[in-house]
Amino acid sequence: MRGKPLTPEKVIEKLQEALGEAILSHGMKEYTVGIAKKRSYREIWMEIDRKAFRKAVEEIFRLDYPHLHFIMGEDSGGDMIKMIYGFALYHGLPWEQVSIVLKFNLPKSELVLPTITDLMPGAETNEREIREMLGIEFEGLKNKRHLFLPDDWPEGKYPWRRDEYGVEDMVKHTHKSVKEIRKGRGE
Amino acid sequence: MAKTQYYVPVGPIHPALKEPIRVEAEVEGERIVRVDVKRGFAHRGIEYMGMKRNAIQTLYLSERICGICSISHPYAFVIGSEKALGIEAPPRAQYIRPIIAELERIHSHILWLGVVAHEMGFDSLLFWTWKGREKVLDLLELLTGNRINYSVFMIGGVRRDIKESQIKAIKDAIDFYRIFTEEMKNVFLSDPVYKARTRGVAQLSREMALKLNVCGPVARAAGLRMDVRQDNPYDAYADIEVRAIVPQDIVGEARGDAYDITLVRLYEIEQSLDIIEFCIENMPEGRIMAIPNYVVLLSKIKKTKGEAIGMHEAPRGEVVHYFKYDGTRDGPAVWKVVAPSYNNINSWAPLLLGAEVADIPIVVAYIDPCMCCNDRVAVVRDRDGRIMDYSLIHRKAVEKTMRLKRELGVRA
Repeated sequence: MRGKPLTPEKVIEKLQEALGEAILSHGMKEYTVGIAKKRSYREIWMEIDRKAFRKAVEEIFRLDYPHLHFIMGEDSGGDMIKMIYGFALYHGLPWEQVSIVLKFNLPKSELVLPTITDLMPGAETNEREIREMLGIEFEGLKNKRHLFLPDDWPEGKYPWRRDEYGVEDMVKHTHKSVKEIRKGRGE
Repeated sequence: MAKTQYYVPVGPIHPALKEPIRVEAEVEGERIVRVDVKRGFAHRGIEYMGMKRNAIQTLYLSERICGICSISHPYAFVIGSEKALGIEAPPRAQYIRPIIAELERIHSHILWLGVVAHEMGFDSLLFWTWKGREKVLDLLELLTGNRINYSVFMIGGVRRDIKESQIKAIKDAIDFYRIFTEEMKNVFLSDPVYKARTRGVAQLSREMALKLNVCGPVARAAGLRMDVRQDNPYDAYADIEVRAIVPQDIVGEARGDAYDITLVRLYEIEQSLDIIEFCIENMPEGRIMAIPNYVVLLSKIKKTKGEAIGMHEAPRGEVVHYFKYDGTRDGPAVWKVVAPSYNNINSWAPLLLGAEVADIPIVVAYIDPCMCCNDRVAVVRDRDGRIMDYSLIHRKAVEKTMRLKRELGVRA
């Protein structure tokens, strides 16, 4: 059965107990909503060491069976990919939901992550998408077929990468700005 | 030994599917023993495009992710952007937005009821429900100028106000749908054939729903009280105290089958009517946009460094947009869209196992799948396997149109 919902502060405390030094930084974002009556809710944003990722997820699952909002990776062109995992704890309880965003850097020399599909089979979709879009391997992911990209998609091309593995050369015709088009027409 | 297992492919192009997806089933007699779902046939790389445009262009691009939820994606987009930019929409705009969103929910739910009736072979029911749906589409056209793709949201407000004369039209529509929903409840929920066809079909337990990460009406039919409007309220929803509609509150227990999901969707139409009524009665006066000048808005975005999650409860479930503005460009540096079907299609493979071939359409339709939401690139190759670029495909399309015109004798 589900335990009593914890406040965001308590959730951070629990994660600190479990992860210790591995939490590099953490913060809470507060948003005020409502017109007739102002109320607010908070989100936890946390930067962690990539080695502690699996442990952090396990701790989140111990607190409450979460809902996975999204998994996203950001390649800003450097030698790191920033991974972003969004979970929601205590969903279904009005004003009690705590969203946790976990962020960590993954070096491009070692694009491997442990899967979370053993804890949440539904995360397969997300992991398969990240795998084909960014080229990150998930250890323990059973189904490695393409999800959105066609089966004959060229190997070593990842649409969300902003380096030599990106797709700039494949899509150069589709993203001209209005200025470029006008220039091309000689206007 | 005789062959006992047969392979049944459904899709990607199939008369029973309105959008492309492929379900591959292996059957023994009537029973499905192995199943695989392939998606991606409508992938258009919208997130990639969004990361190359400015925020206002991307907002209206997000509207084109899906034709049915054409307000849900912009809604999550504006909520996320406002959170990242630290601006708040004026109170009046915060009341107008839910009205549009709930009208969309009504038309989407009625659309689903029609589709599921069609999948079962009740085509007269399809036509009757969709005839009823026209009124809400007309109303949306009156309010926004379009039946779909309303283009009415803006970061920090809305672009069109609701006038007194329009409020009268909304009230008329509410009266119409109160009666129409009651009739739909009678038809769907008490019809013995409908019940026989849906009870126990596509049954998802509470545990399965959690593990498969499903959302929206699919999760609620399985008894999970999940609704973004309740869990993470925004705009006027925070004043309304929306509560998730789950079957255990209506009939005492949640079975999570296709019948329960019909129940949830029918009651949600009534909930939407209540929300619209609340909004028009309590609508504050005032401005409708926080930053009316788009140039100022874009330059503010360009100066902003920040990230946020925007969420909205779309008719089919939770829409999540993750944004990052990096302070160098006037659009999102990172944009991730998770539409409800992305998660809800997870339920197909487990649900189809052990089901019968005749159940495939219902299992497929019951989540109200939306492929264009779910998929977002197609690579076209010629006979020799060379990738055809945009200009070539465009030229070929023009040539084909010309040929057809010639053949049909249409003069330019």
